[in-house]
Amino acid sequence: MARTRQRWLPALLIPLALAIAVLFGSVQAGASVSLPPKTAEEILAMIARTEVRALSGTVQQTAELGLPEVPTSGPGIAPGAVSALEFLTGSHTARLYVDGPLRARLQVLDRMAERDVVINGGDAWFYNSRDNSATHLTAPVKPTVPDKHEPPMLPPEMTAPDMPTPEAIAGRFLAAVDASTEVTAAGSSTVAGRSAYSLVLNPRSAETLVDSVTINVDSETGLPLAVDVRANGQAEPAYSLAYTQLDLSTPDAGLFNFTPPPGATVTEKVLPVKPVPSMALPSAPVPDHVRPAPDVRGPGASVTGKGWDSVISLPAGSAPAELTSNPQLSQALQPVGGGRALTTSLLNVLILDDGRVFAGMVPLERLQSAAAAQ
Amino acid sequence: MLIALAAVPVLIAVAVKLSSRPAAPGRGPLFLDRITQNGLFVAVTALVVCVPLFLPLTVGVVAGDTIAGEANLGTLRYLLLAPAGRIRLLLVKYAGAVAFCFAATATVAASGALAGVVLFPVGPVTLLSGDTVSVGESALRSLLIAAYITVSLLGLSAIGLLISTFTDVPVGAMAATIVLSVVSQVLDNLPQLEWLHPWLFSHYWLGFADLLRQPISWTSFGENALLQAGYIAVCGALAYAKFSNKDVLS
Repeated sequence: MARTRQRWLPALLIPLALAIAVLFGSVQAGASVSLPPKTAEEILAMIARTEVRALSGTVQQTAELGLPEVPTSGPGIAPGAVSALEFLTGSHTARLYVDGPLRARLQVLDRMAERDVVINGGDAWFYNSRDNSATHLTAPVKPTVPDKHEPPMLPPEMTAPDMPTPEAIAGRFLAAVDASTEVTAAGSSTVAGRSAYSLVLNPRSAETLVDSVTINVDSETGLPLAVDVRANGQAEPAYSLAYTQLDLSTPDAGLFNFTPPPGATVTEKVLPVKPVPSMALPSAPVPDHVRPAPDVRGPGASVTGKGWDSVISLPAGSAPAELTSNPQLSQALQPVGGGRALTTSLLNVLILDDGRVFAGMVPLERLQSAAAAQ
Repeated sequence: MLIALAAVPVLIAVAVKLSSRPAAPGRGPLFLDRITQNGLFVAVTALVVCVPLFLPLTVGVVAGDTIAGEANLGTLRYLLLAPAGRIRLLLVKYAGAVAFCFAATATVAASGALAGVVLFPVGPVTLLSGDTVSVGESALRSLLIAAYITVSLLGLSAIGLLISTFTDVPVGAMAATIVLSVVSQVLDNLPQLEWLHPWLFSHYWLGFADLLRQPISWTSFGENALLQAGYIAVCGALAYAKFSNKDVLS
């Protein structure tokens, strides 16, 4: 009998050892590092001084906005039908290569597929491996007024910092910091194996849905490594974008030279033309909406309120067609008094029957009262 | 079984060759639409088709048969009469299953490459990233994919070996192994069980697409290898415990 027990011993010990190793690994990953404390002002200065011009890394974006998960594959899903909603749900991984302000490559790693954005000087390529299509954008002579729903990838913004990096998103939040925001330093953390300072932006307003925005800043270079946006009454971050791997060496120059593969359908476009919808996504929707209002201005749009609880209103007819025609988006819309609404934990959009659109990071009631006031 | 596996890519290639209507891009398995332009894609498409069912099926049959098959034929006790020890028998049996994993994957890849070269033009290969690589490098990447899939199947083989030690009915062990692989893949597709996904042995099975990116993403290769090693360790330990205590009557 003792012998029998002895023989079962390894069967017990090995799983136990593995479990301990897994637990230890996860504890170690979450352990905070000890860094000399810095004030919020010092951290802000670090971000302003950052001089990272080249990097290659992997970023992961997770959105838990309370929207139903959009299936991206399977029967009934047409290729390329991925919509703006796709990046508002679930998690996405992308590889990012940046070399200076003019050369960048973003690879959205889908399951068994990939979408690429390659920017090299005045040329931009969008490539979708699912339907083997490529779009070539060349810079126009003069950029016109950027449409609200176009990606911030148009010239003169067609530069690497406008890739959807934690740095770009953090920059947008920090640019909007004013008296309505309380900025505090919140210790240190580890992101992508690098020690980082945490900076927390707390809206002073109680009207907004945003609870806090946490920005993790690399302790060596001042590069923002991760951005978490928390919504009121939700434990998980509603939106997070973070590096999972980061290498600050200059990536291989060959990565930025893109030639469309043989057999690909190539569309030539001169800006400012909206690129292939699915390709526009990596950068467009979430950052566009999540950032505080002031820089989201389309033709005829007006902003009421200040800071975090501002409401953007679009007059009738100016609502982007995608809001009303996209079938996946229509499914997510709920009928409310006087129109339909897209409600998420971070952002609400109210589409009235008369065509007016109100949006903001505020509760739906506030959008409705803003609509009634006009 | 290897012949059946080898037939899959040939079937795909012949079907694509005979169909007059070109496959629409984005429909069907990965790269199906590009086979007509480049025969080297036949191997990759065939592997994509085989990974969810055919390969686990054959590996399940081989792994489930390891111990239970011998017990069923009444040859297990003769094997144990030799002064080799039960651990060694277990290891040799597992090595046999591993060799089959490799042979099965290599068969699909080789027969796919062969069918593609015979039936379609061959040229530089387009990767998922949109970059093209030479034929030589694409062959290298095919080998890497074959290695990845072989590694992917190691965990399943270990599970099959474990189940095989519990029964004298080989068909039962085979069926249980195959059912487990299907269950694991179904669970992997339920978004409600997201916390469980990284622990399922089939979670990284289709991750070999990462080897078709430029530059190659090694993350899933490493994570897959680690996960499979964990399954081998746990199932191997349990199989050893069970088998060394087993009363071998047949």
